[in-house]
Amino acid sequence: MKLKVTETILKSSLLAWITFLISCGGNNNNGNSGNTDSNDSGIKKIKLAFVTNATADFWSYGKAGAEKAASEHDDIEIEFKMGDGTAAKQREVCDALLVRGFKGIAISPPNPTGQQQMINDWAKKSQIITVDSDAPESDRLFYLGTNNVEAGRQAGELLKEALPNGGKVMAFVGVGDQANAVERYQGLKEAVAGTNIEILDLRTDEANIGKARRNAEDTLTKYPDLAGMVGLWAYNAPACLKAVKDKGVAGKVKIIAFDEEVETLKAIDTGEIHGTVVQQPYEFGYQAIKALRSIIIDNKTPQDLEIPDTKQKFIATKMIRKGEGAAYLKKCQEWKKGG
Amino acid sequence: MNNSKLGFINNNRRELGMLGLLIALIVITSWGTRESGVQALFESKFLSADNLKNISREIGIYGIFSIGVGIVIITAGIDLSVGSLMALLGVVFLYFVTPPETRPDSFLAKIIPEIPWLAAVLFTLLIGTAIGVFQGLLVGKLKLQAFIVTLCGLLSYRGLARFSADDTSINISDSSQNLEFLRFLGEGSLSDVLSNGNGSGFLHSIPMSFIYLLCFAIFFGVLLHKSVFGRYIFAAGRNELATKYSGINTNIVIAFAYVIAGFCTAFAAIPFCIYTGSVQPATHGAFFELYAIAAAVLGGCSLRGGEGSIIGILIGTAILIVLRNMVNLFGYPTPLSDAITGGVIFVGVLLDQHGASSIKRIFSKKPVSGN
Repeated sequence: MKLKVTETILKSSLLAWITFLISCGGNNNNGNSGNTDSNDSGIKKIKLAFVTNATADFWSYGKAGAEKAASEHDDIEIEFKMGDGTAAKQREVCDALLVRGFKGIAISPPNPTGQQQMINDWAKKSQIITVDSDAPESDRLFYLGTNNVEAGRQAGELLKEALPNGGKVMAFVGVGDQANAVERYQGLKEAVAGTNIEILDLRTDEANIGKARRNAEDTLTKYPDLAGMVGLWAYNAPACLKAVKDKGVAGKVKIIAFDEEVETLKAIDTGEIHGTVVQQPYEFGYQAIKALRSIIIDNKTPQDLEIPDTKQKFIATKMIRKGEGAAYLKKCQEWKKGG
Repeated sequence: MNNSKLGFINNNRRELGMLGLLIALIVITSWGTRESGVQALFESKFLSADNLKNISREIGIYGIFSIGVGIVIITAGIDLSVGSLMALLGVVFLYFVTPPETRPDSFLAKIIPEIPWLAAVLFTLLIGTAIGVFQGLLVGKLKLQAFIVTLCGLLSYRGLARFSADDTSINISDSSQNLEFLRFLGEGSLSDVLSNGNGSGFLHSIPMSFIYLLCFAIFFGVLLHKSVFGRYIFAAGRNELATKYSGINTNIVIAFAYVIAGFCTAFAAIPFCIYTGSVQPATHGAFFELYAIAAAVLGGCSLRGGEGSIIGILIGTAILIVLRNMVNLFGYPTPLSDAITGGVIFVGVLLDQHGASSIKRIFSKKPVSGN
């Protein structure tokens, strides 16, 4: 008797599982998800995808942009895939997308140099553009991303506003020889060259937030006359802010941030952080999908889309100053929710 | 007749059950990815030449190291170091084929010379096997617990790989050698190798890694199931003490299983790093040990030792890869992939443990009612 009950439970659980799998497969084919081939009016939809390097809030904003672009046209449908930071996973995902007949894919390769061959193979079967991290030697059509030197210059502009009389400034970053860190630092130094602002050095913390705060504290101890701090990676400015508050010099030592951390945006409106430079991942997603659509459906060339001959199109970073923090934070939250 | 049929089912019930699961997955995936309006399963995207090539390439790579881990599991051991070892061997292999000036500034980068790729392949296999010998002696001879020995391996090989690559990625494209043929051997198909990249047709759909897997499966299948040594492996796994008392040197038998695992891992590491084009030591091959263990357990290996088969491990590997492919082809969110994989393993093992008796009853009832 007992055995019978167990058997029945087991059989029904197996049945339930198989039904679940079949129903997923079936649904898919009937048009509830990305595998649809045609819409209600029978027009064949072109499938486009966006594949990120890793999972991050940054990319949820990109997703919102890509979905916005898709909602503006009824001849395309999109899928947005987040990677796990490995080239192996990205390959698995992209290979499957190609099997499913995706005509265009925007990718952010986690390891651009190593993935060159892979990108070339995909480019034979589909239109490929790179976003946020580029593989310039590969056969990708073009690259969409941030100009980090320019972003560094904008941080320099913010610094000049904050310190009209100049002073000593320390810069902080996770890993000093990573491309975006090098470029932002370079732009920062270019922008303040010839002014009274003196950039002392670049302190690194190996992406360890605890160490980032210690670096900031030690700097405040060593340079009591410090006038400003620049955090080149997202968490650096909030770490500086904690150190500054701890020492009771909030607002006196000016902080310039990068990216859209919640603490950063809130502190901008209270005046504890002077401003931040934000990238525009929403635009990455929006413009990538728009461009792929134009190339595939309208037969446009990258030149028609005003892509420079360098095959790199930069999407300008934005400066957020006092009074704009709350609005930007709200926008980020809307993007995150998928609006 | 009925008895021999029953005997076959009894002896291979795990493999048969998992084969059933694999076929069910294939049918479900084919059904879900068929072209709209077309009812024929064989015209589905799942069964398209490109997709079959993609999944058989992955089955090839994953299958090879899963065989190694499976044999260790049959001796009642465990090997947790596979993923980290793949990262370390990937770094070492790429150092062998790239000029020293392109490498990061680290100890290992300085001492490894640049050598022709064929020698690099042989040395990488040798290093992997040597690490297998080391782990095998610790477990077999010194009687340290396999879990601890290979857990230390998991941590230290990954750490060593990251340290020696200075936590940067090492790229195969930095090589100054002509690696086109190596690329064909690693991620290409049979026709690529035979006609130097110009092939097409059926042979173009057979990846080399799948051919390696078939060779491994035949060799280790014979070793495990048809040789005296294979009997020793099963015996040592089932009851080490009894085996020892019957005059068999179980220390050597168990140690040898780790040597096999080291060799298999090294062999899989090379096509895998060609497949990814680079090695990022922090993430390269992460969790591969768990995929291998899952494949072996799904395929009928018991973690208590003494049970399992090569064909079962192959079926287990195929189930895992087909499941991942299914998630991708159905367009499910990627994170769901692991949840579905876990669910299927759970249901599979549950059925295997408790559902088998009822399945057996169905088969044994039939002749009674029929006669």
